[in-house]
Amino acid sequence: MPSANALRIQIEHSLESRFPAALSPVPRTIREVASTGIQEVDRLLDGGLPVGAISEITGLESSGRTSLALAFMAGRTREGLVCAWVDAGDCLDAESAAACGVRLKQLLWVRCRNAESTLKSKPWSRLDQALQATDLLLQAGGFAALVLDLGSTAPEHGCRIPLATWFRFRQAADRTRCSLLVLGQAPFAQSSAAVMLECAAMRAGNEAGTVLNGFTYEVRSGRQRQPASITGMRKPSASTWTATGQWEREKKA
Amino acid sequence: MKQELYACVYAAEFPAQAWLRLRTDLEAEPVAVLEGRAPVETVCSVNRPARLKGVCLGMTRLEAEGIPGLRLLARSAETEAAARSALLECAAHFSPRMEDASRGTACACVLDIAGTERLFGPPERLAERLRTSLAAAGFRVSIAISSNFHTARLKAAATRGILVISHKQEAIALSRLPIEALGLEEQHAETFAIWGIQTLGELAALPEVELITRLGAQTAEWRALALGALPHTFQPVEAEFTLKEFCEFDTPVEQTESLLFVAARMIDCLVARAATRAFAVASLVVRMELEGGSVYRRVIRPAIATVDRKFLLKLLQLAIAAHPPQAAVMLVDLTAEAGQSSKVQLGLFAPQMPEPSRLDVTIARLKAIAGEDRVGSPVLEDTHRPGAFRMDGFAVAEAETTQQTERPRLALRRMRPAVPIRVELRDMKPVAFRDNERRFKVAAAYGPWKTSGCWWSSDDWNAEEWDVLAATSGGSPVACLLVRNHQLRKDGRSVWQLEAFYD
Repeated sequence: MPSANALRIQIEHSLESRFPAALSPVPRTIREVASTGIQEVDRLLDGGLPVGAISEITGLESSGRTSLALAFMAGRTREGLVCAWVDAGDCLDAESAAACGVRLKQLLWVRCRNAESTLKSKPWSRLDQALQATDLLLQAGGFAALVLDLGSTAPEHGCRIPLATWFRFRQAADRTRCSLLVLGQAPFAQSSAAVMLECAAMRAGNEAGTVLNGFTYEVRSGRQRQPASITGMRKPSASTWTATGQWEREKKA
Repeated sequence: MKQELYACVYAAEFPAQAWLRLRTDLEAEPVAVLEGRAPVETVCSVNRPARLKGVCLGMTRLEAEGIPGLRLLARSAETEAAARSALLECAAHFSPRMEDASRGTACACVLDIAGTERLFGPPERLAERLRTSLAAAGFRVSIAISSNFHTARLKAAATRGILVISHKQEAIALSRLPIEALGLEEQHAETFAIWGIQTLGELAALPEVELITRLGAQTAEWRALALGALPHTFQPVEAEFTLKEFCEFDTPVEQTESLLFVAARMIDCLVARAATRAFAVASLVVRMELEGGSVYRRVIRPAIATVDRKFLLKLLQLAIAAHPPQAAVMLVDLTAEAGQSSKVQLGLFAPQMPEPSRLDVTIARLKAIAGEDRVGSPVLEDTHRPGAFRMDGFAVAEAETTQQTERPRLALRRMRPAVPIRVELRDMKPVAFRDNERRFKVAAAYGPWKTSGCWWSSDDWNAEEWDVLAATSGGSPVACLLVRNHQLRKDGRSVWQLEAFYD
């Protein structure tokens, strides 16, 4: 009687033309990560956000999504890389981006707008533009990070984006080694996202003071498809981090 | 003494050739070019299919219109000038010394090719290469090579294909040419007709002294011409290097595809001409005259100078798609600016960057989707106006890398346009506000931070800002920026707006 190993080799050999190595386990790869620029979040994510994959950052207004994304972009542009920001709601504040350390010259900003035709009142025109722009930028390649900002898109609209679109984005991001960050009020990419972070506001830095000098946020790891760590240590699923305001900066200067 | 050698390039029916050079779709159709004022226009040039249909020079429009299937085009000086420039430039690659020898509707030039054997081989091979090169540029020419300038010129007009005349064989080569080839005045032509002299060979056989006695000193020149022995002082012209192509349509073109079909051929020619001088196309100016007299103009400027025809055509297609002409197109004029072709040294450890040419196409597509002014890099304005920025074109540039890390900062998410809100005040501080959808209860308000500027212009601003910590009716905390604008209402009352969220 042939051994299991011989049987496996025999089956694989017969199926070789259709499925190469059908019964052999796929070797596990450790995905490259890039630091978010926030130590607490990096610890939570085992180093940072994955390169060549979709990461979702979800949360309501004032949950720290934009600050987190800008901190990540600042790190990428500081490395001399080129990034893009596809802004479905035209919400990015260039001053904040510069203050966060993003090199604006290395940032391609696509500001979606309402269509001039009859679709003016429909949110789909902006969403459609954002998806088309993301598709083009991912296919073009060369961008180290791309933020698809759907933070102002209502969840009921964002959830209608077909899964095939996210699957295509995932493939393109993987091929072009681009970190695709999706900002939204709810998870839209579903299983196509390698990492899903849930953000929430916790408290202001100094509520009793005279200025808003910071904000503390909570970030929770909703899902991590492929942990970068191979040590098997259990990591905490949530963390808090603080973003400081301009006043704090002035005071230190 | 070094032997002289001349090659004459002769493009017959040049008005028709200039038209058909860029309109490859008309190549197989019978085409006649008309000149003169309507309605007394006459045929001045025809192509081969038209000649086979019986069209001949001098026919009136009425006669030509009677021939079925014949396409009639109006003679265009600009098209011919662009075609002539392209022909001379193409010929100039084989010899820098060139003299224009155009007569009538034909375009001809004579090249001084003495001493070019080591570059191009024997004269026969040079002629073949020259003809192939001109055929690629869209011209059908005949070429005659001789050691005598006039022999080459006369023989090129009378031959088809390539003819190389050996040294001291000029008289034999010219002997069968009709005497009309000399372009004599009418009275002298009549005299020769009465004498029964019909060919240059017969003219050359006449005794020189008696001929001069009867018809004057000029006959010595004719006789030398017929013998292929008339000397010539070469007057070289320099082919002007202008990358310009021009095409006029016989009927207004509305469809972009038809326009691009012609533009593709024009770009091909421009790129080929630039590439032969080791240049690339740095920018492309598209000018179109539209039906009704308006002019359409776009400038296409790729990030790097390129010779990629498909890439330039794609950029043109996207530019036309983003800004379509408002009427049918009557003529297209493409002018390219030559630039040094760029060379990029790639490196294994170089950071990941978008490919410049591909990025150009991507940005053009993005602009077609989102709008011309909504794609690019933000640049902060030198002003105290909150949120002021402008959009600049995005270009990939090498940047220095730094390891400096900064503490995370609070970022704003701006509402564009700002949302008008109704605010409840207590002790001049906001305690609650609501927009159209939600109500927010204020937990803490920091401010006001007063800001104003540009009071000397109509673009002034005067507002006070409040950083507000609030909670929605659902209980979730938000931090936002409220603005009390003192300028929006004419009655002097201020307007509250939700400007941004801290996010």
